[in-house]
Amino acid sequence: MQQKSIQIVGVIWTLVYAGFIVWIYATEPRSLREIGTNTQVAAGVYEINQERFNNGLTLFRREQFRAAREELGAADPAQRDPRTQFYIAYAFYREGWGRVYYDRALFSEGLKAVDRAITLDPDGKLVLDDPNLQMHTPAELKAELEQGTETSWKDLNPLKLFRTRK
Amino acid sequence: MKNYAERNLAMLHFIGLPTILLTAGLLGGLRIDAQTKQFVFIGPPLVTLLLAILLGLLFVRAGAIDLGRWFAIEQPMVTNLSHLLTLSCLFFATAQAFNSVLPESGLLHWMFSFFFLWTLWTNQFSPFDPRRLLRSIVVVFGTAFVFKHLLLSALYTPNKSWLRAIASTLLQGISIEVPAFAPATGYLSFFALAFYVAGLLLIRPVPPAHDSSNKLVVSTDAAPGSPNKPALDA
Repeated sequence: MQQKSIQIVGVIWTLVYAGFIVWIYATEPRSLREIGTNTQVAAGVYEINQERFNNGLTLFRREQFRAAREELGAADPAQRDPRTQFYIAYAFYREGWGRVYYDRALFSEGLKAVDRAITLDPDGKLVLDDPNLQMHTPAELKAELEQGTETSWKDLNPLKLFRTRK
Repeated sequence: MKNYAERNLAMLHFIGLPTILLTAGLLGGLRIDAQTKQFVFIGPPLVTLLLAILLGLLFVRAGAIDLGRWFAIEQPMVTNLSHLLTLSCLFFATAQAFNSVLPESGLLHWMFSFFFLWTLWTNQFSPFDPRRLLRSIVVVFGTAFVFKHLLLSALYTPNKSWLRAIASTLLQGISIEVPAFAPATGYLSFFALAFYVAGLLLIRPVPPAHDSSNKLVVSTDAAPGSPNKPALDA
């Protein structure tokens, strides 16, 4: 009976370990810390670092967008929180916005971040009532970022010098 | 005393062996990026699966694995299932061992793959016994390890060394499109191969069998090459 128990334990252990290896290769963590974060996500106990999120928000409001993105990125290392991803995208938008031209590299990064926010909030329930923002949903922000990355005849319109940043 | 031996043998065969092989598989595809020092996981390329099949056939031909005894209708289902998982682990570990010593891309990837394919294909038609097979495997993997992790990686070291001089001379005029990895990758590959060879040493041609009372039958007069001795015991 003991031998049979060992066999059963062996089968279960092998399946669990093989599953872990498949999961590791599927998620491709870049460090041991990321393995820990991915484990939290898989276990459903993942939470963003609220303190770093608040720091990021403070920096965002002070218009220190690059530093804000660093803090927000550190607050949500697994990129699983739609609200944080929305703010990261917004930081890219505000830093890349210019009266004469848009920084397309920053806008492209912003698009990636807002796409993550939309993917994480498939029902579209995310609405931020932050009075500091003029766009409150990922869909609005995405439209604005897409517009900034496209080239059209409107770019030659001199009246665009009077447009305002949202 | 005998009970301990039986229990330890069973734990080694049903738990230890798959663990060792899976660990070899885990480490075989792991690299460390030279610049960012981050993990890079590389799944087994298609050619390594082909190489693993050829090496698996060689195990069976050389008598290192007696498939008829590993899977038998008289055995309990859980035993057959456990053996199926162990052989699956062996296949995965073999593919990842090849993955570990193959350059990731470029001309050298295909050259190494071709040499492995050629060696394994010609070996299919050679007389082999388990001991000679193990020696052959160790030599093939050892040579590839030295080429990839000592000679090739020497090309990317910032300081001048005699290994770098040799590698530069040998590969003069050849376009190398191999991604640069940190020296730690060589250590990971070494341990992957060490686990793989350890796994091969533990595999028996005939697994510990059960009698009707569900007890492991262990031969006490096991001579080298007998069914209850590790098949690849060198």
